[in-house]
Amino acid sequence: MNLLDRYEEVVGRPEIDRLRRLGERLAGKRIVHVNSTRQGGGVAEILGWMIPLMVELGIDARWEVIQGNSDFYRVTKSFHNGLQGLPINLRPADYQLHVDVNEANARHLNLEADVAFIHDPQPIFLPRFTPAGKVGRWIWRCHIDASRPNRGVWKHLSGGIKDYAATVFSMPSFTRPLDRPMFLIPPSIDPLADKNRFLDDSERVQILEKLHVDPDRPMLLQVSRFDRFKDPLGVIEAYRLVKTAHPELQLVLVGGPADDDPEGAEVLKDVMDRAGDDADLHVLLLPPDSHREINALQRSAVIVLQKSLKEGFGLTVTEALWKGKPVIGGATGGIALQVHDYQTGFLVYSPAGAAYRIRYLLRYSDKRQRMGATGHEFVRENFLLTRHLRDYFSMLMWLDHPGTDALAA
Amino acid sequence: MNDFIVEDCSLVRCATGRACFNLRELLEAARAAGPGVLEHHLMRCALEDHFDLYEFPNDLARWCWDALGDRELAEKLALLNPYVFRDFEKLRGEVVDVLEDHLWSLERFPWSRPGLELHLVESRLISFDTGERFSTLVGMAEAVPRMSRRSLFFHVHEAYRRHGVDDFSAFLEARHAPNELVERLRQIDFYFLNLNQLREKVLEALCAFVAEPRAVLGGAA
Repeated sequence: MNLLDRYEEVVGRPEIDRLRRLGERLAGKRIVHVNSTRQGGGVAEILGWMIPLMVELGIDARWEVIQGNSDFYRVTKSFHNGLQGLPINLRPADYQLHVDVNEANARHLNLEADVAFIHDPQPIFLPRFTPAGKVGRWIWRCHIDASRPNRGVWKHLSGGIKDYAATVFSMPSFTRPLDRPMFLIPPSIDPLADKNRFLDDSERVQILEKLHVDPDRPMLLQVSRFDRFKDPLGVIEAYRLVKTAHPELQLVLVGGPADDDPEGAEVLKDVMDRAGDDADLHVLLLPPDSHREINALQRSAVIVLQKSLKEGFGLTVTEALWKGKPVIGGATGGIALQVHDYQTGFLVYSPAGAAYRIRYLLRYSDKRQRMGATGHEFVRENFLLTRHLRDYFSMLMWLDHPGTDALAA
Repeated sequence: MNDFIVEDCSLVRCATGRACFNLRELLEAARAAGPGVLEHHLMRCALEDHFDLYEFPNDLARWCWDALGDRELAEKLALLNPYVFRDFEKLRGEVVDVLEDHLWSLERFPWSRPGLELHLVESRLISFDTGERFSTLVGMAEAVPRMSRRSLFFHVHEAYRRHGVDDFSAFLEARHAPNELVERLRQIDFYFLNLNQLREKVLEALCAFVAEPRAVLGGAA
């Protein structure tokens, strides 16, 4: 069975037909994606499924990765932070290193294509050093919230953006005014990936038992790294406010180990202190590849929380909705796009608000079921990888036919 | 006579990089934003598939209700049907008028709840031929339940925007279908329905006539 057939079982024939139809119009187009790593991180994950699907749909798609030394990645990590408005400390030589590494990569990468998608800031200066005519159209795909960047970083990167025909952002709130088109393509989840695929009940229960979580009692869950912006202490406070009325309740906070992140370690310590000796409050530190475990926990939760104070798109919310769980989330970033009051969950503004909504949902199991079903369909329509690919294809169609308000493919 | 070609469509959305944080900024946006921005937030927002989740038919009304907490203004904006305006500047004038009139009566203008700012977006539509065809009323009645919500949007909302009439009734009229059916389809208040409700209304109208032998056009479907 090919890839598209497998996805057809999940998203239905019409969606796959739409992709085929668009693919026919773009067949043979040479597309190269360039990023900074082949493994690890959200961009590599997206390209990992997108390239084979594009190829299966008749596109001549390739993936190139730029190379740099550790100093280069230190600098680009600062760009990543700076784009999100965090304070950074870079010297003029650091900015020059970024440009120099791009120049060196432009010489040895195979960039010949009709369209080159350049992902994030690391390879942003490739167009400057690529001979004219080698790439038909350059598109910068920014996966980061760039709405309030550090001024120095933005000044440096915007020097590269002027060489692009268009840009792509995940959400309108990630953008700032630019004199290039800013296409909007939200991220997506892969319904067949280990983190999201169907789990049978025995496998789910087995995983829960391995994690020492009681499969027979209601469980609240938040999946996120230990970061103050994710407000894990607020989640604990909300749980405690509900626990007196629902003593059977469990709370599971799942994140990664914070070995190389001093701030994360500090937050984790605060979380552990606050958790105390509550046997029903589980703080789980799981390695980054614990996809089946996360899947089992999300499928077992009665309600999923994402009580962030600041958030990107919030794919953990998407994952929970896909598994038919109502989500209680902070009104920030992509959470507000996914959580709709009384439809897919509730937006909240305080631990008390979260506690109130938890109590509401615990009381009305029929409403939980209905919201879960709505959330599942909402994700099927909007946030699966087939929609993601359709958005890319639609954008490419559009760029080939600018200037009209409606286009027939 | 040509068959009905079932089209589907997809939205290509572009950010403007601008957002409204309060009612005064919404008024400024209504005055100055490009036609594509107002068109998106008043019309094409229905295609974002969030539509079934919402009570109001356009982004502006919904934002006033949810983010500004201004219920009265939300109600006024919800009632504004952009499809009755054949001239875009008249539509803009009407939106501006509603906002100005409301602002005039306020002592303090409302601000958005944090995190719920209105980010201004414009969009364009790409349509696809689905490959599906029908030539009869029966065929239409069979095809409508299978159509995606985007197809319904394309053949009703978008058709109305382009030609002032939906594709279904135009097709049936050209095939000399009963006037009552054509009129019944044209009387569907599509802007105030979500796309699933619209499907039900179209089907109700078709099924009321499909049973009638005289309504079956051009032989078997």
